[in-house]
Amino acid sequence: MTIERDELGFDAPAPLGHPGRLGLPEGREVGPGVGQSLPDFALPDQHGRLLRFHEDRASARAVVVFFRSAVW
Amino acid sequence: MLYGIPFPGAFVTDEDGVVIAKSFHDTYKKRDSPEILIDAALGRIELSAEAPTAVGGDEEVRVTAAIHGGSGTIRQGIVRHLVVRFELRDGLHIYGEPVPEGMVATRVTLRGPSGLVVQDPILPPTEPLRLGSTGAELRVWSGSVDIAVPFYPTGELASEVRPLDADAVTLEVEIRYQACDDETCLLPRTEKLTFELPLDVIDVPRIPLHMGHGQREGDYDGKPGLRRLMLRKIRSHPLGFLRFIGKHLRLELAARARAARSRN
Repeated sequence: MTIERDELGFDAPAPLGHPGRLGLPEGREVGPGVGQSLPDFALPDQHGRLLRFHEDRASARAVVVFFRSAVW
Repeated sequence: MLYGIPFPGAFVTDEDGVVIAKSFHDTYKKRDSPEILIDAALGRIELSAEAPTAVGGDEEVRVTAAIHGGSGTIRQGIVRHLVVRFELRDGLHIYGEPVPEGMVATRVTLRGPSGLVVQDPILPPTEPLRLGSTGAELRVWSGSVDIAVPFYPTGELASEVRPLDADAVTLEVEIRYQACDDETCLLPRTEKLTFELPLDVIDVPRIPLHMGHGQREGDYDGKPGLRRLMLRKIRSHPLGFLRFIGKHLRLELAARARAARSRN
């Protein structure tokens, strides 16, 4: 069986060239750049408490991660 | 606007909430090791004592290569770093690109089996050095220098949704450099180091084929899509499908044997 594989080496159940397989467009902006401030936002934590990014960080450094699944 | 599965990425901010590092990838299957995000927040590379390490060089230039992230294991799509640390005696420097003919620029090459993707090295900033004899300006590093080479395995090497072909893979590292002081140069050196890295087993032995992440929760019924996929594969590669079934059975048995060994 010939494995359908994209240019990054990943095996693909969807045919190559399928619109659902399109990657991040070249030059696409993904949020603030280095040197810019992250906007303020509020999200619930694991206990359901609403946390505001800038207010509740207690002036600590932070990592804000966007991910699809949690197998790391 | 873009819709669909989000692109994985991370912002690292300082105490004021200002972005000091940012990393986004072009596929959801690829992401950075947590250790690399911590490095970005700290502004330095913190090598773990558990990181597999190989040492080369001599008293003049000590060379240490380490696999950074994941305690030395690799898994599909997770970006680890090969970190090569040069520790140079006072007065010595090594060269960045470009160099005039006859001189040797520092180069780190990482090779692995099919399915290992190696990205361009991340180089620290160089300092200028003007040669007194010719007036040529060179780019050099001195003191302690870290060169990081990002790499990740694809599903061909370390799939999350099928049993692994092997327990570990061998990575070969070639490090080429020449150290000089302001007057003389040491002979160019080439260090060849080898790493044997375990492939990280996730939960594949316990789940059947095509029931990987994202398909085990919720009400999504993947069977019609899987049926269409299988029919398309069988039509286009009938003999290949039989070979695939045979290979899968062999891998499944190997995975069960491996799981049984680990229980004993």
